[in-house]
Amino acid sequence: MQKSKKNARQYFGEWRHWGLLLISPWLAGFFLLKFFPILASLALSLTNFYLLEPQKTEFVGLQYYIQFLHDPDMYTVLNRTIMLALAIIPVQLVSSVCIAALLSNRRLLAKNTMRTLFFLPSVIPSAAFIFMWQGFFNPASGWLNRLFLNPLGLAGLNHLSGRGAGNSLFILTSLWTIGPGMLILMGSMQGIAPELYEAAQVDGAGRFRRFFSITLPLITPAIFFTLILNLTAVFGGAVMMDRGYNFDSNLSSYDSYIYFYLFRVFKLGAATSLAWIFLIFTMAIVITLFITSKYWVYYPDPEKRA
Amino acid sequence: MNRLNLKKWQKILPFNLLVWIILALYLLPIISMVFTAMMSTEQLMDPRSPLYPARQLTFNYQGKDYPLYNVPTGSGIRPMALFQPGAKSSLFIDPQNPGAAPIRWVGGWRSLQGLYEFHISWDNFTVMAKNLPLADMLRNSLLILFLAEIGVLASSIVTAYGFARFKLPGGDLIFYILIATILIPDKVTTIPTYFVYVNLLHWRGTIYPILLPWFFGSAMYIFLLRQNFRSIPIDLEEAAMLDGAGPLQRLFYVILPQSWPVVITVSVLHFFYMWNETRTASLYLSSANPALMPISIGVQVYESRVPIQNIIEASSMVILAIPVLLLFISQRYFMQGIVVTGTEK
Repeated sequence: MQKSKKNARQYFGEWRHWGLLLISPWLAGFFLLKFFPILASLALSLTNFYLLEPQKTEFVGLQYYIQFLHDPDMYTVLNRTIMLALAIIPVQLVSSVCIAALLSNRRLLAKNTMRTLFFLPSVIPSAAFIFMWQGFFNPASGWLNRLFLNPLGLAGLNHLSGRGAGNSLFILTSLWTIGPGMLILMGSMQGIAPELYEAAQVDGAGRFRRFFSITLPLITPAIFFTLILNLTAVFGGAVMMDRGYNFDSNLSSYDSYIYFYLFRVFKLGAATSLAWIFLIFTMAIVITLFITSKYWVYYPDPEKRA
Repeated sequence: MNRLNLKKWQKILPFNLLVWIILALYLLPIISMVFTAMMSTEQLMDPRSPLYPARQLTFNYQGKDYPLYNVPTGSGIRPMALFQPGAKSSLFIDPQNPGAAPIRWVGGWRSLQGLYEFHISWDNFTVMAKNLPLADMLRNSLLILFLAEIGVLASSIVTAYGFARFKLPGGDLIFYILIATILIPDKVTTIPTYFVYVNLLHWRGTIYPILLPWFFGSAMYIFLLRQNFRSIPIDLEEAAMLDGAGPLQRLFYVILPQSWPVVITVSVLHFFYMWNETRTASLYLSSANPALMPISIGVQVYESRVPIQNIIEASSMVILAIPVLLLFISQRYFMQGIVVTGTEK
């Protein structure tokens, strides 16, 4: 307790702006690469800036926003992005919790090697990743058909492979990006005091009861963090080791819609309004998550824990 | 003693078996890739060939090689060489009795199971090495990586120390802003920054747009480092301060020597990120200046041009090898788990 308070913030009796100086690299980057560009894209989105005739730029107010809110294409691409997130995030979250639980188990042999092997798919570069899965899904020579679907007589299911949009088999590939989340969850599981499990065992709680009543509630902060991480990865933020889903424009249709306005039509005003609509949408989700988090995320109370 | 051991294994083994099965299923596409990369194109086109890299056994008859098949005959299934394939019936030669006349077998030869032996074909790798400037692309990648690592480590460590130990104007607000920047989608900042890099600075076709952002630190790494710095007891720093050590000296002589695991974790994370980075590289480099392309994007461009699965898989293996190697080297630090105590301060 004493320590944590001391740890909190200290002047050290030195020049009081040392902190500001130390964080200045990031602070400068924040203004140059985040704050001003965001403001610039907001300003740009209120004009009809057209790359081929920049001299004709005029202030048009919310015209593009109103146009896109009535644009069925915008809803199609937004809907596709949301559907992708809704399909991928629960799959990633549940599987990373399960694998983290398996890898934290006391009975696991060769712990470090097993953990490394489960982490391995997360370091595969996107260039290898996408073609590897295409090879795996290939209807003729792919192992998915030859090992699983042909013997079961389900090969017909696999016409879902290939490069079509809304590709449901590609949701499987999202299982290969759970590494960082898995590590965070594992770290959190190791932080749980063993006495808790022993006490529960004495009281007659079974393995599953112990998992659902002790492990799961205590790792909710890590689950929350992983959820945010996965969400930003799907929506194209900058996260740890993110491979992004941008390598396939079919999977990131909102991006390709922005790039269409940017690199094909050269209407920067329209492209930036699309980006801003997405920003508002993402922030609304994140803020909602943060607000609801106090109902399901367990925060140890530092005052009581001493 | 022995019985105790047995009992222990009875408890451990089923669980580990389950984990091994899950792992095998999880890594199946990688195993498939490794095998496909070592297959010849003929085998890839042959749907009845085995899953592992193999070639069909042949029998030399009068100076020519003929493929061997398992043929059902009157005296059981026997390996025979296909001499003259036909639609309704084919001529076969019995390898045990090559002097005899070819035997006519009625039925479609395509329904027969061939005989295969394990055989690795390295052709895919040589074809790729001939068509791709691998050494140049590797040099580009390593240059970008090296500079980006220096930039991101220096700026993130210093910033994280500032966040961990010093009072900042506005209290925690700046820290919340730091966390918020992680969540901002790239889309919003891409257009103005692209405009500045390309139209004002004329950096299209250079590696500067890829490198520059990292010299301002990365919010994610700053967060991880800060969490770790804060867990170090402050007493040593206070002692150093009484001896007259300034903030940077305390960072270098007190904090950093105790933080190697997290610093290594962050640099390895960044290595993986930069090695895989294709988004900015494709935006600023791939069409404008292919000579500077890093290996990830170079291989991706090549793969989209070569529609042959086994060559693609071979090139995938080449870019995969280095991060996988690094992962195994660094696993000692890496697998301790990235400890994040929630998003509270």
